[in-house]
Amino acid sequence: MAAKITTFEPPSSASSDSECGETQADFSEVFPDYEAEEEKSGNFYNTPASPITVPYCARPPSAGSQKSPKARRQRTTSINKSSKQTASESVLRTQHRTIYTAGRPPWYNSAGQQVEPFVIGICGGSASGKTTVAAKIIAALDMPWVTLLSMDSFYKVLNEKQHHMAHDNEYNFDHPDAFDFDILVSTLQRLKEGRKVEVPIYNFVTHAREARTKTMYGANVIIFEGILAFYGTKLLNVLDMKIFVDTDADIRLARRLRRDISQRGRELDGVIKQYTNMVQPSFNHYIAPLMTHADIIVPRGGENEVAIHLIVQHVHAQLQLRGFKLREELAHSYVGQSLPETVHLLPTTPQIRGLHTFIRNKDTPRDEFIFYSKRLIRLVIEYTLSLMAFVEKTVETPQGVLYNGKRMATNKICGVSILRAGETMEQAVCDVYKDIRIGKILIQTNFSTGEPELFYLRLPKDIKDYKVILMDATVATGAAAMMAIRVLLDHDVPESNILIVSLLMAESGVHSIAYAFPEVQIVTSAIDPEVNDKFYVMPGIGNFGDRYFGTEPSGE
Amino acid sequence: MGTADPELTNNQEYGSNLKILASNDQVKELQTILRDRNTSRSDFKFYADRLIRLVIEESLNQLPFTDCKVITPTGAVYNGLKYQSGNCGVSIVRSGEAMEQGLRDCCRSIRIGKILVESDADTHEAKVVYARFPENIAQRQILLMYPIMSTGNTVAQSVNVLKEHGVKEDCIILSNLFCTPLAVKTVMESFPKMKILTSELHPVAPNHFGQKYFGTD
Repeated sequence: MAAKITTFEPPSSASSDSECGETQADFSEVFPDYEAEEEKSGNFYNTPASPITVPYCARPPSAGSQKSPKARRQRTTSINKSSKQTASESVLRTQHRTIYTAGRPPWYNSAGQQVEPFVIGICGGSASGKTTVAAKIIAALDMPWVTLLSMDSFYKVLNEKQHHMAHDNEYNFDHPDAFDFDILVSTLQRLKEGRKVEVPIYNFVTHAREARTKTMYGANVIIFEGILAFYGTKLLNVLDMKIFVDTDADIRLARRLRRDISQRGRELDGVIKQYTNMVQPSFNHYIAPLMTHADIIVPRGGENEVAIHLIVQHVHAQLQLRGFKLREELAHSYVGQSLPETVHLLPTTPQIRGLHTFIRNKDTPRDEFIFYSKRLIRLVIEYTLSLMAFVEKTVETPQGVLYNGKRMATNKICGVSILRAGETMEQAVCDVYKDIRIGKILIQTNFSTGEPELFYLRLPKDIKDYKVILMDATVATGAAAMMAIRVLLDHDVPESNILIVSLLMAESGVHSIAYAFPEVQIVTSAIDPEVNDKFYVMPGIGNFGDRYFGTEPSGE
Repeated sequence: MGTADPELTNNQEYGSNLKILASNDQVKELQTILRDRNTSRSDFKFYADRLIRLVIEESLNQLPFTDCKVITPTGAVYNGLKYQSGNCGVSIVRSGEAMEQGLRDCCRSIRIGKILVESDADTHEAKVVYARFPENIAQRQILLMYPIMSTGNTVAQSVNVLKEHGVKEDCIILSNLFCTPLAVKTVMESFPKMKILTSELHPVAPNHFGQKYFGTD
């Protein structure tokens, strides 16, 4: 476990000590039995730092009483591009840098609009091999980000009588009535819109939903699997591609017997009784007829390489129509236009130019760099607060006269920093606004693709009601800022409530953000004309985070 | 020399040596909180420190600088500017000391002198009873700190002391938060070359500032 955590430590340490502590606590919560999980799930691996998690409950066990808590699986899996790799391979160590490759890449295009994910539904009888097919598709897709949603999360909460029936192998977990289709459909629809969803966690011992939920996000590809995945027109309408896994009944029974007896410690009689009374009739009545809705029927499940190959080809063709390259597109557009109206540039006073002179100079020692950055940050944050809405207010003074003043119209303001460089601005926000709530978003550039990737986020719970000061020290192409804004929008923050605040921005980044999000206010102390081929602002500051935290590669 | 500051509004009536911090809603809110009699002490100090920081940053804009070019880590040239060394802060005890931290936060190792002025209980005449300055103060640019100015007597006495020490009048910048029109007139008539920077001109000065800031009310 400990070794695993280091994998997801943000690539610096200077300011992220507390960060790691928090994340660490997170992991242990998310992975109660990581070891056990790993051997079962084979070619899946967990990326706990990523925000996409796949709640995965145990199979309908039918006999809750016989299940030990250990059998209750709670997988939080992010299946992504490197699903063929092991977890350790998501971290590349070179001589100078540690490179992390397991974040969430953009799920929107260069105009900031969400690219609709491709939703694949996989239906088939119990133990027909749906999960294996899903895993093979994911591996063959080679897509950076895939979300897997299981129907098992949506079992209905049982009342006491039903609970006893389940205990006696008499509750039918294979009947459509056992599922909560309303929540299921709305969850899937929201995922398809790229929104954040809270997926229930079903507890097969108590047959109730646990108090906590799993947060999931839309992805480039969403795979939804379940025995009744095609049940009802509402579900069918959400699915872009429908796959039915058709495996012989005797093979399914054999697998089920093996799984329930050897892995879940159940009695042979009970399993047979449940199978003949409920599983088999339900299959014939409800599941098998769903085959008519399928776009493609995969006989023999996961072994069928040809079928999987065909499916993957189709998905690739569909995705190519939607387009994902982001950063490069951003860097080369909108050159030479006048600045958008939403840009608020601090007046260029001698002090501000003087501060810029210090922090831009490559020979400035770190203590001076930090000192003068902080001064500049403070000015930027003060300026940002002056952009808030204010109301007239008359107060009594100790001198006995009334004073016509102003007060801020809202007290719901929060800060969100884009790690790591944005973290340097947190102190200034706390210094000017008492008891402000601070959220964090970790976005790193993937060094192989040049694309930003989302690794981690923690936001105040009711962030949709807040004015959000989104902080990043520098904005070059705007790719990271746009991803962060997109995350806030996914959390239902109105666009007009967001201010992106930065010390230095490149002109192209300003235009990209303003074009994609015309209502977001942009605040900065300087706008530089260019971005170079390494996506640094020119003349710029260099890598602000590296210089502030002292993590510059040596010998460069 | 930096004189054209978009942040500042020059008041025609008083000439170009009086500069008032450009009022935005944010500054107005700080002033409102400081003037409100119902503001708690902790809030008072918090918001006073914020306003002081803004005033100090603005005062520093008045200091002389020269152009300079630096190379950025990306290898490009940035046309920046450089402040001249040889500045010095002088606070008027006691309320002027509230502004020292703000100055320290901007200029880590700046030298700070102090002047103590007391009013004679009978004649109400301001008298300097203590003054301590860096040695070569005559060669320095002075940032004179005093947050509240209602009559201008205290400041006038302090400037006289500075001048006795050889400081040139046009090398003095007065940093001030609240100021009455009367005080500005008095001070500017006596010292026409001195620069004054304040955040607000208002006939009533919040004279409770020192007491509330230091908690001796």
